[in-house]
Amino acid sequence: MSSTNTIGKLSAAGLLAIWLFLSGCSSTPPSRFEQAQQASTQRGASAVVRESEQGGQFNKFFPAAEGEYKVVYSQEKKGFAQAKLKQNGKEVAVFTISDTINNPQAKDKFQQSTDKIGGYPAVSSGSKGTAVLAGLFQVKVISKDSSFTEKERESWLSKFDLSGLAALQ
Amino acid sequence: MSKTIFELVDELPTNNITVMTLRALDFVVPGEWNNTVGFVNTIREVSGEEDEDIIQQIGDRAIWLYNDKSQGYQRAMWLYETVDNADSALGAAALANKVGEKIPLLGFLNRLTPNPDKAQSIDLTLKLVVEVLAFCQINGIPGDSIGDFAAALGEEYKGDSLMRMAALICLDGLIPLGPDFLGKVQSTISNLSGGDLERNGTFRGISSLIPGNSTGGKLDFIGNALEGVTGWIGNFVGDRGLNPATIFDHLQGFVEFSDDKLDYVAAFLDMTTNYYEHTGTQTIARSIIERAVGEI
Repeated sequence: MSSTNTIGKLSAAGLLAIWLFLSGCSSTPPSRFEQAQQASTQRGASAVVRESEQGGQFNKFFPAAEGEYKVVYSQEKKGFAQAKLKQNGKEVAVFTISDTINNPQAKDKFQQSTDKIGGYPAVSSGSKGTAVLAGLFQVKVISKDSSFTEKERESWLSKFDLSGLAALQ
Repeated sequence: MSKTIFELVDELPTNNITVMTLRALDFVVPGEWNNTVGFVNTIREVSGEEDEDIIQQIGDRAIWLYNDKSQGYQRAMWLYETVDNADSALGAAALANKVGEKIPLLGFLNRLTPNPDKAQSIDLTLKLVVEVLAFCQINGIPGDSIGDFAAALGEEYKGDSLMRMAALICLDGLIPLGPDFLGKVQSTISNLSGGDLERNGTFRGISSLIPGNSTGGKLDFIGNALEGVTGWIGNFVGDRGLNPATIFDHLQGFVEFSDDKLDYVAAFLDMTTNYYEHTGTQTIARSIIERAVGEI
């Protein structure tokens, strides 16, 4: 009886040793992105839902070029459109419009918003961006050059057709 | 199982033959390519954010976007991987035989076969086609939009993407085919038959993604793609005064070869580098991260 126990303990210790050895060999700790990887590869998972607006629908709500500024469209995907603001050929900011149906958490930050742009809630997003929520759609202006300040982000946000966008179904 | 996007970006080499070659081509597009490696590094660089919580949110959303097959990023990655035909064993052997700072090409001559001009012309053109298709997948433009691509080449291409085009022109054009590579490629493609195309392994690999209902239709697309970018390539070479001799000079920083073995330099670089896959991974990572910044 006691010898069986000892064998049992020994083999448990052996298994533990093997496990420790093997896990020691598996070089890196799990990535901080492992959870997103797992969740996004589950059956049926999708980053963009079928019901979201076509990115091409958003283009008409972006500000027009003016003076030395040019607006260059760069990505146009379902639920998302992106344009670059160039000043005399140099990229100074990125404009995006996205359908929050694909990433509803994006709306959370607007709950604490006290500022408004064009009547819509506005918040700063990260250290380089300012965002507005127009209906279901998030509009962002992100600085790409240190000369492009928060004030300019707000000013360019007000040039979007926010009410037109908010009315989009 | 295929690798995750963060593994692909984390595992990009910092110093292999691909990286040495692209560094040697910095003179063509000065300062454009810094070999940004690592998923978090790329997030920091693209977003300019330092806050760990924001970085996590951007990374998580970027991973979701990449993993959604309908968004085209995985197809673009597959295209970039498929068009490179690097022999990693040869690359590793070459690095292992490095004497001091240089790789002696002489030791590898028996393992290299220079590509005949016709095959090389097809290779170069298919790489261009892959760039058009990947660009459309990444940016959400219909797959046959050669005009949008050609416009973006002039306006939007910079960083990893511009370096990829510079390397294409130098390593697959000027070095193997000489200063008149564009003329040679155009004449090869305009005389190409469907049968020639079907015998090409790279074409067979990517043909399902090339617009066109038949080999003939795909050949038309390939011809149009080439025609659409010929002007840009001609200007790129002309504006910089590029020629094989200047490129050889810069490559001699890390490969040792004699002037009668120039054909072999092209074959060596073709087999030991995967610059499309390397810079393509960087382009895709940048694109999903930019989009994630807009969506979080």
